[in-house]
Amino acid sequence: MKQKVVSDFIATPRIARLWKRSTDLSKGGKRNVLVDNPEFLVYHWSGHSAGFSPATGEMALEDSERINVGDHNCRVDIGTAYPYAKEMPSKVEGFEYSAFNWAKDYAFFLDHSPAEVYPDEIICSEFHWQLDEARKFVYPPEVTDLGFELRQLGAGGTSLAHTCPDLSIGLNKGWTGLLSDVKASLEKWKALGNEERINYLQAQVLVVEAIIRFTRRHADKATELAGKETDQAQKILYQKIAVNMLQLATGKPETFEQAVQFIQLFQVVERINGHGNGYGRLDQLLIDFYRKDIADGTLTKEEARNLLAELYLKYGGNYFSFGGRNEDGSDATNEVSWVGLEAYDMLGGYNHLGVMWHPDMNPAYYTYACDVVTRHGCGVPTLVSYDVMRDSELYSGYRYEDAWNVSYSGCQWYCAVGSEYSDHDLNCLVLITPMLRAIDVAEKESINDFETFWQIYEQEVEKTAAALVHFKNKVYEWQSRVWPEMVTTLCMKDAIEKGLDITAIGGARNAYTSVNVLGVPNVVDSLYAIKRVIFEEKKYTLSNLKKAIANNWEGDEIFRQIMLKQEKFGNDFDGVDAIHIRVADNILKTFATKRNIKGFNFRPSLFQYMGHTYAGPMLGATPDGRLAQEPVAHGCNPMHGRNTEGITATAKSLLKVPFHKYQGGSLQIELQPKFFDGRERKGEFIEKFSKAYMKNGGIQINFNVIDLEKLKQAVEEPENPEYADIVVKVTGYSAHFVVMDKEFQKEFVARVNYEAV
Amino acid sequence: MSKTGLVFDIHRGTTHDGPGMRTTIFMKGCPLHCEWCHNPESLSREPETQWISRKCIGCNICVESCVSHALTFDETGATINTTTCEHCRQCVKNCPTGAQTLIGKYWTAEELVKEACKDSLFFGEFEGGVTVSGGEPLLQYEFVHEFLQLLKQKGENTALDTSGFSSPKALEVVYPYVDIFLYDIKFIDRELHQKHTGVDNNQILKNFQWLVQKSKNDTNKRIRIRTPLIPGATAMVENIQQIGEFLRNNLADEIECWELCAFNNVSRDKYARMRLDWLYSSTPLMSEKEIDTLRKTAQIYLPQKVLSTGLSAKF
Repeated sequence: MKQKVVSDFIATPRIARLWKRSTDLSKGGKRNVLVDNPEFLVYHWSGHSAGFSPATGEMALEDSERINVGDHNCRVDIGTAYPYAKEMPSKVEGFEYSAFNWAKDYAFFLDHSPAEVYPDEIICSEFHWQLDEARKFVYPPEVTDLGFELRQLGAGGTSLAHTCPDLSIGLNKGWTGLLSDVKASLEKWKALGNEERINYLQAQVLVVEAIIRFTRRHADKATELAGKETDQAQKILYQKIAVNMLQLATGKPETFEQAVQFIQLFQVVERINGHGNGYGRLDQLLIDFYRKDIADGTLTKEEARNLLAELYLKYGGNYFSFGGRNEDGSDATNEVSWVGLEAYDMLGGYNHLGVMWHPDMNPAYYTYACDVVTRHGCGVPTLVSYDVMRDSELYSGYRYEDAWNVSYSGCQWYCAVGSEYSDHDLNCLVLITPMLRAIDVAEKESINDFETFWQIYEQEVEKTAAALVHFKNKVYEWQSRVWPEMVTTLCMKDAIEKGLDITAIGGARNAYTSVNVLGVPNVVDSLYAIKRVIFEEKKYTLSNLKKAIANNWEGDEIFRQIMLKQEKFGNDFDGVDAIHIRVADNILKTFATKRNIKGFNFRPSLFQYMGHTYAGPMLGATPDGRLAQEPVAHGCNPMHGRNTEGITATAKSLLKVPFHKYQGGSLQIELQPKFFDGRERKGEFIEKFSKAYMKNGGIQINFNVIDLEKLKQAVEEPENPEYADIVVKVTGYSAHFVVMDKEFQKEFVARVNYEAV
Repeated sequence: MSKTGLVFDIHRGTTHDGPGMRTTIFMKGCPLHCEWCHNPESLSREPETQWISRKCIGCNICVESCVSHALTFDETGATINTTTCEHCRQCVKNCPTGAQTLIGKYWTAEELVKEACKDSLFFGEFEGGVTVSGGEPLLQYEFVHEFLQLLKQKGENTALDTSGFSSPKALEVVYPYVDIFLYDIKFIDRELHQKHTGVDNNQILKNFQWLVQKSKNDTNKRIRIRTPLIPGATAMVENIQQIGEFLRNNLADEIECWELCAFNNVSRDKYARMRLDWLYSSTPLMSEKEIDTLRKTAQIYLPQKVLSTGLSAKF
């Protein structure tokens, strides 16, 4: 293991070997996350498969057609397709849109997935294929037809990922306990004669029993390996796994080690269905196991650290959080918060851990978190404000008993653990599209004042938002039949008792619809420039503008420069930031009035995770002076190259919108290593900066330390081993730089660095 | 009526102009003409037009809009005839790209306070504040006095970055409103000072002695000495010894630290933009070894208080 970053925690030879295997898989392209096409990134809906791009199988596209968004997958590619794809029950007995039909496929799929145990492991289990490679994940035409219509209006959506099941439910009951709950609920609904719920719970029995068999097969495999093993140390490891897996197949986890194994297993059997979630507050989940084992003398701190390191290596980037508050408001930081971060400190590289800061957090812990993110420079942990996330949940209407237990759940998301299915991650409204329509309408109607133009803009935003709502509601009519989240549901509050999947209407306690809004800064910059140049100074007309952007500003360079010269968002300038406040407020109000058929409203996020890279040519040039071939702004961060007043000004501009009323929006900061030259405590800058930012309402900071020159070289020479280890926080997640698609690399390099802070 | 002050730049989020994170206000106009000056645009006491080649698209609008025909444009770019220019700034106003830009803007103290405090939410966490730099800020001491006074009324921490070349009165007037003095001492030798900066250092050293005496009874005043390390000029062991000797003899206890700021050549572009030759345009960065020698020399006089900053060549 190459120890490139100085850390107090040195990996043992065993952990170092596990690190090498995991890292080689990532760098070797075995953990890539693929999407079907650029449309998926921009509109969050590909028009092809209903989820991410299946790696193999009948829905898989050629490599030249799909896009690699980075190496943060749990799935380990072994280069071949799922061998039993043709024997799937849905193909042999017939496909049906139903939970039961899905569950039969799931059970068959898991039964025919190998139970693997590798040398050096204590924490085991991984997978090589996902269910969407073997079972068709598509919605019926009445849904997809709407999707294509919606795309024309500038929106789209896919329902999956970033919910947080409450794994404490599973840890307290074990698979067998969960099965008992399912069966008890089944009996209740049988007595009441509710066919829908009976069917669902019968399907759940298939799912849980398959998981228990899968667990037991690991025990059998480990026993078999132990029998053959001659190396005594390795034999002991196999025996440990056999004991742990047998316990998990027959009861609940009893030790810290078994609890960690349960979490890994849960992630595998859940994510094997095609996509993953956030998995909650790791320190809260494990603290009782930790304290008990430490008190009993059966666990040392170092052993606990190594087990968590194994968990990170096994999954390949984990969506866990640390810190935050307890229900009574006190600081929830505990021993596992430390051990969990130390385990990352030992390994470095990519991960998706988050630290939930609040003003009463143990200061030493936050100092350490900031030291880790700066020293490793890989954007880990993500720094988020617990209080703003909790208040965001409360603002939306969550009960305090749900809201207090909020967890950062990866990317820009957060989730009330076990009580929320807010369809996070993949719904998008491309705000540039309604703005461009507004220009067309206003030009036809010869509008000559900004306020009238603004009204037209609002109407066009409304039109796209209403179409998105219509589409999502159609999806929701089908979702629990097309692709229920049956494993997730097992660890959601009330769901099993209700006999409902969390994707079903009435399944989750809270079921808002999250929407990423793409292109906010470009729209803000455009509207401000239009206001100034066209309506106030009257230097040009809307017809001139329409023509200029249609021709990608060709022949209109002076006009373009004048539009570029206007104040730009992200510099704490009052004029343009007033438009930002107005644009954001309009988004908020537009979605606050929209209801999904589950009875909850839509919640906008001011961040869209990576459509900005590919959206340029799809959307064409924009009135802010952006050329068609340029990317659009990254989330709510200023457009590339337009933040001229430094990092504090950018932060101030973002803070003018109250984040707790939205659902996330992260500030990206990329600093060059030379910024830290000669500083004694390297983490001090981001610690103070983030505290000031979050005290004033900021919700999240994604922080990179990157050597720009090195990255530029890496784009040119991806094969050069010197660049193989570079990890960057792409957006909400981190990945190896050279593994990512070229377009992402180029966009990343183009982001402005605050060199002169 | 409030006076106005001429400012040529404002930097937010700086971490090198005094403690913590600060907003630095650069006042325009300087009585010194240091050969190595890193801010040549700070020298003149008047606003001036500058042409930035990388922003220019060659549209010729500046030439067309010049009322006094003082502007010409050829393959070397736009040139202003400073004798015929009537300073109407039409070129700046009409330039679509910002290539023709005006260096220097007049502010009222109230407006400038508002601007300087935009980052106040960061000042607290970083224990930072506002630094007034230049040019030589004391050249506009009446305005600076009013500005600092308003900042202190708001409870902000203030720093003054000065060459010390001012009338005793100027320093005396602003003194009550400055928390931290960043005081430049470049040479002790009068002739060298005259040669390299264009002015005598007699007043600078006198002002310094006054300042140190005054702050002796004022426990909350902080004084930091800054010496730029300029190859062939200040970066001499003998010079550092002389400054060290001077500081040691002048209430060294009152001095918080002595910062040796290594030369950098990032001002090359600025000189090129102003069509000025720069004596230091091809001077390389100092080596770490050279800097280390000077730092060690300085430490003999002010142990524990010397720090070196700035860029160095890694060889």
